[in-house]
Amino acid sequence: MHTLEIKDLHVKIKAEPEHPEILTGVNLKLATGEIHAIMGPNGTGKSTLAETIMGNPAYEVTQGDILIDGESILGMAVDERARAGLFLGMQYPQEIAGVTNAEFIRAAINARRPEDDQIRISDFLKQLDKTMATLEMPESMADRYLNQGFSGGEKKRNEILQLMMIHPHFGLLDEIDSGLDIDALRIVAKGVNLMRGPEFGSMIITHYQRLLDYIIPDVVHVMKGGRIIESGGPDLAKKLEKTGYEHLKVGEQNG
Amino acid sequence: MNTLKWVNKMVETTTLPAPNLPKFPLARYLKNQPDAVEDRVVLHAPQAIAYAAGSSEVQRFTPTNSLDAWLLRSPQGATTVDIPAHFVSGDDPIVLTGPKNAGGLLYVHVGKGAKVTLQEKWASGGHVLGIWLMLVVEADADVNWLSYDSFTADTVLVNRTATLAANAKLNWTLAGFSHNSGLNRVDVRLLGHNAEVTVNVGVLASGNQHVNYTTSVTNEGQHTVGHINQRGVITGNAHLMFNGIGHIIKGARGSDAQQENRVLMLSQRAEGDANPILLIDENDVTAGHAASVTRVNADQLYYLMSRGLSATLAKRLVIRGFLEGGLAEIDDVRLKKELFATIDRTLVAEDA
Repeated sequence: MHTLEIKDLHVKIKAEPEHPEILTGVNLKLATGEIHAIMGPNGTGKSTLAETIMGNPAYEVTQGDILIDGESILGMAVDERARAGLFLGMQYPQEIAGVTNAEFIRAAINARRPEDDQIRISDFLKQLDKTMATLEMPESMADRYLNQGFSGGEKKRNEILQLMMIHPHFGLLDEIDSGLDIDALRIVAKGVNLMRGPEFGSMIITHYQRLLDYIIPDVVHVMKGGRIIESGGPDLAKKLEKTGYEHLKVGEQNG
Repeated sequence: MNTLKWVNKMVETTTLPAPNLPKFPLARYLKNQPDAVEDRVVLHAPQAIAYAAGSSEVQRFTPTNSLDAWLLRSPQGATTVDIPAHFVSGDDPIVLTGPKNAGGLLYVHVGKGAKVTLQEKWASGGHVLGIWLMLVVEADADVNWLSYDSFTADTVLVNRTATLAANAKLNWTLAGFSHNSGLNRVDVRLLGHNAEVTVNVGVLASGNQHVNYTTSVTNEGQHTVGHINQRGVITGNAHLMFNGIGHIIKGARGSDAQQENRVLMLSQRAEGDANPILLIDENDVTAGHAASVTRVNADQLYYLMSRGLSATLAKRLVIRGFLEGGLAEIDDVRLKKELFATIDRTLVAEDA
C-alpha cells in the first residue's frame, strides 16, 4: 500500500505574491485502493490543490507538506514526482506537435524503467492497442501528434489512455468530465474503474455528481475557501447535488 | 563578355533584394567573391524527364537586382530541368542534389497541368557559395517543393525565385539545417489569376551562424493567395532574422496575403528577429500577419514532465514541436526522422 498525504497545505500563486493564499490549510490522506472525490464551488482551490501536488512551478507552498509514503516531495521536480507515482489528468492538456501519441506514451513508460530494461516495442504496441480499444479510440490516434487537433473529448480520453498505460500509484483527475458528452463520460469512467485496485488510488475533482454515478468514490470531500470543510461517503455528493454549496460555511463544522 | 558588362551595369541601377537592415549588412556580403568552382546539380527522377547541364544554360538567368548580378558574376555551373506538360510524378519524388563543393544555377520549368513532387537538397561545402534556383510554374500545374539545406560552407547566399501562372499551386517547404551564415531569399510572384502559394520555412540556427531568411510573395494576378509561415529555433551565439514580405499590387483584387514569423530562443546569447512586412496597394483584399520571439513554452514543458519525462527530453520535444510548425508539410517519413535527429544532435551539442 502507498499513501499520499497532504498536511496543512497553504499555497500562493508565485506571480501574485500580494494575492491572498489560495489554499489555506488542506489536510487529506489518500491511500492506494481508495478513490476520493473533491467537490466544491468554482474558485475554491481544487485545481490548485491538484497542480500543487504535481509540482506546477506556478504555485508556491508557503506552509505545510505533501508526502508520499511518509517522505516529503516538496523538494522534487515535476518529473521526479511523476516517477514517484503521481499522475495528473489535466483540465487543459497541451498540444505538442512533432511527437506522436504512441512515441510520447512509450517515452513516459520508459522514463520509469532503467536504461537497460526499456519496454519492448511489440509489448508496448500490444498494450496500447488493447487500451485504446477499451477506450473506444480509433487506432489512428496513436500516430497523431500529441493532442494536436484533438477535440475536447478526445483530449480527455487521451489523458485516461496515458493514465492506463503509465500505471501510476495516484491518479489526480482534474475535471476529467468537463466537456464530455454522456457516452464519452461513460467510457472515461470505465477506464478509471478498470484502474481500481490495491495498487491505485485516485483523487477526482469534479463539479458534478454525475461523474460519481459512474465512478463511485470511497470518500467525498467538499472544498470551500481553500480548505476541506466537510468529508463523507458517496451520499454526501448526492446531498450536495440537491442543496448546492451556498449554505456551507468556511470555518464551521458542517453536516 | 557582353552579358557580363550588362550585368555590371545592372548592379549600379538596382536595389537590394532584401531589406538592408543594420543587423544584416547584405551589401557587405556581396563584396565577397563566390568560390570559382563549376559543377552541376544531379537529378534523380523515377521517370525520364528532360535534363540539361552546362554553361549554355546560364542564358536563362536574367538579373534584376544586385544579388542576381552577384550570382552571375563568377562562372557558375548551370542545370536545367524541364518537366513536360501534364506530367504526373509517382510516389517517389524527383530529387535534385546540389554539388559537393559548389553553388550554382538551377532552372526548373514545370509545364502546364503537371503534378509533381520535387526535393532540392544542398549540403555543399566551401568558402563563399551562391545558389540561384529559378522555378517557373505554368498554368494549372501543382507543385510540391521541398528545399532541404544543410550547407557546411562558411557563407552562402541563396536566391530562390518562382513565378506562378494562372491556377498554378505551389506548396513549398524550406528546411534550413545549415551551418553557414548568409542570406536565404525566397521570392514568389503570383502572376496568373487564382495562383496559390504556401511557403513554410523551418530553420535551426546554431553556433555562430548569422542568417537572414527573407521570404516574399507578390500577388500580381487577381484572386491569388500567398501564405508565408516561418519558424526558427536559435541556440548558442546564433542570430536568425526572419523577414516576411507580403505585397499585393494594385489591381490584384480578391487576393489574400497572410504571414506568420516565429522564432524560439534557447540561449541567453541567441538573437532573433521577426519582421512582418505587408505592402498593400489594392483595397479589395484580405491580409494579416503574426510574429513572435519567444522562449520554450513552460506549459508544454510542465505537461510533458508531469508524465515523467526528464526536463532535458521534455525540452527537446517542445523545441521539435515548435519547429514542426514550419516542417509539417514534409510527408517523407525518412527525411522527417533525419531532420528530427539533427535537431536532437544540435541541441545536445549546444547543451540547449
